Amino acid sequence: MPEVDERYVRQVQFPPIGPEGQRRLLESTAVLIGCGALGSTIADGLVRAGVGRLVIVDRDFVELNNLQRQMLFDEEDVLQQLPKAVAAARHLRKVNSTVAVEPIVTDVHAGNVQDLIRGADVVLDGTDNFETRYLINDACVAAGIPWVYGGVVAASGMSMTILPGQSACLRCVFREPPPPGSLPTCDVAGIISPIVRIIGGVEVSEALKILTGSGRPNRGLLSVEVWDLSFEVVELGGPSPDCPTCGRGEYPFLRAEAGTVAISLCGRSGVQVAPRPPVHLDLPALAERLRAVGQVTQNEFLLRFANEECDMAVFPDGRAIIKGTTDPAKARTLYARYIGG
Amino acid sequence: MIYLDNAATSWPKAPGVAEAMSRFLLEEAGNPGRSGHRLARTAAERVESARRALARLLGVSPPERIVFTLNATDGLNLALKGLLRPGDHVITSSVEHNSVTRPLRALAEQGVQVTKVPCFGDGTVDVDALARAFRSNTRLVVLTHASNVAGTLQPVAEVARLAHAAGALFLVDGAQTVGAVPFRVADLGADLLAFSGHKGLLGPTGTGALYVGPGVDLRPTREGGTGTSSELDVQPSDLPHRLESGTPNTVGIAGLGAALEYLEHRGLEAIRAHEVALVRALREGLREVPGLRLYGPEDPARCAGAVSFTLPGLEPSEVAAILDASFDVAVRPGLHCAPDAHRTLGTFPLGTVRLSVGPFNTLDEVRQVVGYVAQIARSWG
Repeated sequence: MPEVDERYVRQVQFPPIGPEGQRRLLESTAVLIGCGALGSTIADGLVRAGVGRLVIVDRDFVELNNLQRQMLFDEEDVLQQLPKAVAAARHLRKVNSTVAVEPIVTDVHAGNVQDLIRGADVVLDGTDNFETRYLINDACVAAGIPWVYGGVVAASGMSMTILPGQSACLRCVFREPPPPGSLPTCDVAGIISPIVRIIGGVEVSEALKILTGSGRPNRGLLSVEVWDLSFEVVELGGPSPDCPTCGRGEYPFLRAEAGTVAISLCGRSGVQVAPRPPVHLDLPALAERLRAVGQVTQNEFLLRFANEECDMAVFPDGRAIIKGTTDPAKARTLYARYIGG
Repeated sequence: MIYLDNAATSWPKAPGVAEAMSRFLLEEAGNPGRSGHRLARTAAERVESARRALARLLGVSPPERIVFTLNATDGLNLALKGLLRPGDHVITSSVEHNSVTRPLRALAEQGVQVTKVPCFGDGTVDVDALARAFRSNTRLVVLTHASNVAGTLQPVAEVARLAHAAGALFLVDGAQTVGAVPFRVADLGADLLAFSGHKGLLGPTGTGALYVGPGVDLRPTREGGTGTSSELDVQPSDLPHRLESGTPNTVGIAGLGAALEYLEHRGLEAIRAHEVALVRALREGLREVPGLRLYGPEDPARCAGAVSFTLPGLEPSEVAAILDASFDVAVRPGLHCAPDAHRTLGTFPLGTVRLSVGPFNTLDEVRQVVGYVAQIARSWG
């Protein structure tokens, strides 16, 4: 039996991992995209378990309202206005200094996603929006890298594991991302931490199976509701031959031919984020949802929404003008938070 | 769709443009002036016939004084950087597009002195202030023929006389007027005139030209192959070769040629009369919308095809998004790449909503748009 760090003894005693699995884990690289609530749980789990190298990609900064559920951050990070990736890396180095934790503060887009996941043995989803997930799906399937999808809102969550070429991919299951405004988001519907821990925990265990080469990764779509307490796994088939990503190899998000388009408007009027193709957005319904989290005025032509972090005008074809910024990445973040998609 | 963004680029293009470009690529796409074979000769003929048509349109002789460029910005850069040297003084106005303002700013950092003359509230340059701005080293006056924001036509002939009396040259930015307003270069008194092929001329993007008058010696900003004097390693001194290096945008120029044929056939006088009527209908209709603020000269005869307005309580970008999302009307909000012009109009930094007409818009369309704007104003009033 090879020598095993005292730190991992209990994990190595678990037969499916064992010393060989631990050795493989210590030599592996995981890339985590998004380090909010889910990402914190995932990063903590992987670093404690002894993944060799963890790349954490996130563009946001730590805010006070993150602390309720994002377990890697504390009040000091808020005061220092640290990027989440950097704050996470600092904390994780105290947890396990033998893991190479690499923070990357950036927005993930079609132009950089392939570089970000290069060399990964698994990619983990800590994002809060479907556009990035479809991009990760395209990039991982194209590169043949397994990835684990996870999403949470309110008290419910979902997860599935994508093994390119072997299992259904995200697009096989959900052919198109949900249209903007069609699903609740954490910033509007709220989020409680137990569901984050559950889905984050599932993502970690899926990653451990993939990285140690043991066990059978989840071949279904897991749905969890933690308030009424229900767990459900819908079994999924293999890759779908007519899937634009894993069947036809078109990778529309990776080729930047799908998803929202963000353009800086002339002058200081802000950034326009528009879904491709346009959608029909139910402005009264959106107004109803957004009233809980900010000031809303609305008529048949537009909806204006403002709170302490954003000021936007939303139109019936799904476009939004995010005011007070010239940064397309920030505008897309706010769009994903309040309108969704 | 109702397209009212012709000041950005005209749409639709003139009948025949798409066909000419398609035919060129399929049947004629040689490299002009580089060899004697049929395709090369045909391509050269397309370029030279477009040059001759531009010369006819603008009253320029010989046609070689028309130099093809990528767009108006390219022509303005060539004129400004080919002419001005450190220590030179240049006079411009406070309603210019960034295609003038930014090259001048870059030149200022190299020691060119720049004076920006103020304009009145409707965008008209203050000619008296301009007359006072001349210095002994004033080399150039550069002025837009019409504001791309408010449509304001400038008193260019008057400015030309002042410039020439002071021994300076006069460069006109014709982006908003060439093809839309009938004139000859001599009417303007311009020594240099830069314009694009894709706006009033109804041709494809990637085309434009600079007229270079007699007695103007521009240093090339690019040297290279011209297909002429190839044995020499110095740039040829004759126009247009001196200023046209590298393979030109032949397919675009072929399309521009077809557009010029259309313009000659329809006539610029008729187009101008049509656009003045459209601007009049827009201004008269918009004036009735409660709370709406209209910019630029009252008299449509003093405007090119652009009309700018703002509505109280709604940002220009919101009005434009509503017009697009709910009414399928294409307009342009914001600063229109002309922040100085908006400072002059008092609309900086949010800008205005700009409606800009073209020869294919109808009175019915502009009346519909006035109705939509009124509806938007009511909904938010």
